[in-house]
Amino acid sequence: MSVTREELTAFADGELSPEDAARVEAAIAMDAELSRQLIAERRLRAALKRQLDPILDEPVPDALHGLLAQAAAQEVDKEATGAPSGEPAQLLDFAAARQRRKLAEKQAAKKARVPMFSNPRLGFALAASLVLGLMLGTQFHSEGLVIAPSGGGLRATGKLASGLDEQLASANPSGNLRILTSFRRQGGDFCRVFDGGGIAGLACKDRNGWVLERTIASRKVATGEYRQAGSAEADLMAVAQDMARGDPLDPDQERAAKAAGWLGSTK
Amino acid sequence: MSNATFCNELTALLPRLRRFARGLTRDAADADDLCQSTLERALKARQQWEEGTRLDAWIYRIMRNQWFDEIRSRGRRAHTFVHEDEGMTVGTAGDIDAENRVELGNVDRALSRLPDEQREAVVLVLVEGFAYKEAAEIIGIPQGTLTSRLGRGREALLKALGETA
Repeated sequence: MSVTREELTAFADGELSPEDAARVEAAIAMDAELSRQLIAERRLRAALKRQLDPILDEPVPDALHGLLAQAAAQEVDKEATGAPSGEPAQLLDFAAARQRRKLAEKQAAKKARVPMFSNPRLGFALAASLVLGLMLGTQFHSEGLVIAPSGGGLRATGKLASGLDEQLASANPSGNLRILTSFRRQGGDFCRVFDGGGIAGLACKDRNGWVLERTIASRKVATGEYRQAGSAEADLMAVAQDMARGDPLDPDQERAAKAAGWLGSTK
Repeated sequence: MSNATFCNELTALLPRLRRFARGLTRDAADADDLCQSTLERALKARQQWEEGTRLDAWIYRIMRNQWFDEIRSRGRRAHTFVHEDEGMTVGTAGDIDAENRVELGNVDRALSRLPDEQREAVVLVLVEGFAYKEAAEIIGIPQGTLTSRLGRGREALLKALGETA
């Protein structure tokens, strides 16, 4: 019985039923030409694998890992806050991806230059530049921060609350919470601007804890090692500046405030 | 499936996705851009994936659709310009390896010269190891069309390898 070219390749590809495979195999065993063809098929497959398989062992670019880590974390925040996710204004196509890569390359090239907020008020500008400095090279972690609704507003709980209590703006960020700045508002309450896990906000301390005055889904653009301050952060810094009484806390003032449990107005 | 699990499974697929992207595009930078846009699309379209179906086939389909959209928008059809010498820039210090290297260069060149549709079929079945039926579903064509593209691509490659079919 003759074996067609299609049958031979289907046999090589493992696509034949057991009966057909047995028939083709028997024919190949008795026909030198068929057996040469089968060997050629196998060599072709092996050559293609040799060509492309080494890619499996290459390190995967950080940007791809980062994209998924970020997506995994964003959803956690969304579930925790019930807020709409901080959907970055991405263009979902190839051209956009290419553009972003080129942008990232450009930014990496001028990595040494730290951008400043354009605001002339020195204190906040300094705080902002500190923030940008801290953001360089920070890795995104996927722990969720928790925000619970309470009474008229949102109140920080869990990791967010403990981070607001304990983390200093001048310290390196731990986990995915960063404190952008700390200041006192009119009336004396201590307030802090934070960013973490897809949500950024401004929280002020009262006797019962941290009340979230503002929350913004933060846009996190991971461009390789370099992260640029999202517009959410710039907006929050502007709000902070309007609310603040005086300049942001310097590291010593911040440590003192922390030691006092961030209870400003009652002191 | 939780979001974290979904993202973990995509993470596990990254090396294979990169291989497929390289096979489709024949260009490292294009391949990485394609991976990026594919992941973004997949995350956005997550709800469209039916649990219990193969996640790899689903995202491969997204990837190939993105790529074919891209080459259409580049106004380039079925031809990749490949310099005659490309793939032949193999080391001269070859002894036993030389034959393999020349073969690799030949395969690479021949693969680049295949029409995009044939290359896609060849890569899905011979490299990525999908069954005819699965590959046809990923591309969105009847199985007969798949086997005919695969057959033509394969003959061209065999010829390039110095084998006659």
